[in-house]
Amino acid sequence: MSLVLVVAITAVAALVVLAGLASTVARRRTGLVHLAGAGLLEALLVLQAVLALARMGDGTPADTPTFLGYLFGVLLIPVAGVLWAQAERTRWAGTVLAVAAAAVGVMVWRLLQLWEATGA
Amino acid sequence: MRDRGLGRPAEAAAPGSAGPARVLVLLYGIFALAAGARAGVQLATRFDEAPLAYLLSAFAAAVYVVATVALAHGGSGGRRTALAAILVELAGVLVVGTLSLADPAAFPDETVWSAYGRGYGYVPLVLPVLGLLLLSRRRGD
Repeated sequence: MSLVLVVAITAVAALVVLAGLASTVARRRTGLVHLAGAGLLEALLVLQAVLALARMGDGTPADTPTFLGYLFGVLLIPVAGVLWAQAERTRWAGTVLAVAAAAVGVMVWRLLQLWEATGA
Repeated sequence: MRDRGLGRPAEAAAPGSAGPARVLVLLYGIFALAAGARAGVQLATRFDEAPLAYLLSAFAAAVYVVATVALAHGGSGGRRTALAAILVELAGVLVVGTLSLADPAAFPDETVWSAYGRGYGYVPLVLPVLGLLLLSRRRGD
């Protein structure tokens, strides 16, 4: 887990939130811009999962099961958001994606919190 | 090209189309995942420490799963099931929220509903209200 990566993920998530809300306001469905943003978000989350698994050790993080739950659970959110948004034909498609991206933005900070809480 | 990039113009929300309901289904899905994962971890790793809180976590997760599926499924049966699940959810977040503040000793570890969902930005408190609003609006369809 690194703060830099968490900040980067938060920034990309924020952009996806904005893109999603913008398309709702503009009465459009989601397009390639949204797909690319969500794809980048997912790629960063996978990178984070790989790095975190490589750096995990004895007692780090203290609550390992919860940490792993978040680490892998968060990977599902952008995928679910994109699939659920693509199937939506009204302007609410973008809001669906925005909610998913916002959830990712919150979850990575909770992940960092869990990572920094060592058993000591 | 512009349509492919930015998305095609949206269709108007027709009666019976998902529309805003889809946003709510995603939110419920995320909470089903969050509450389910939390309950799974708690029950598997430290059930003895706070059986009541952890069973409540599992119950909350089940309620979210039922509400998610019922809302996604739609139809009159889905709406009835969703209404029941959402009412249970509303009662749960209010009762557990109040008890957890009044008697913290009884809730040594957090559940999604503790302190009205404070650990989750109070979304658990807002979610059932949005769900009820949506269901009441769609009854006219």
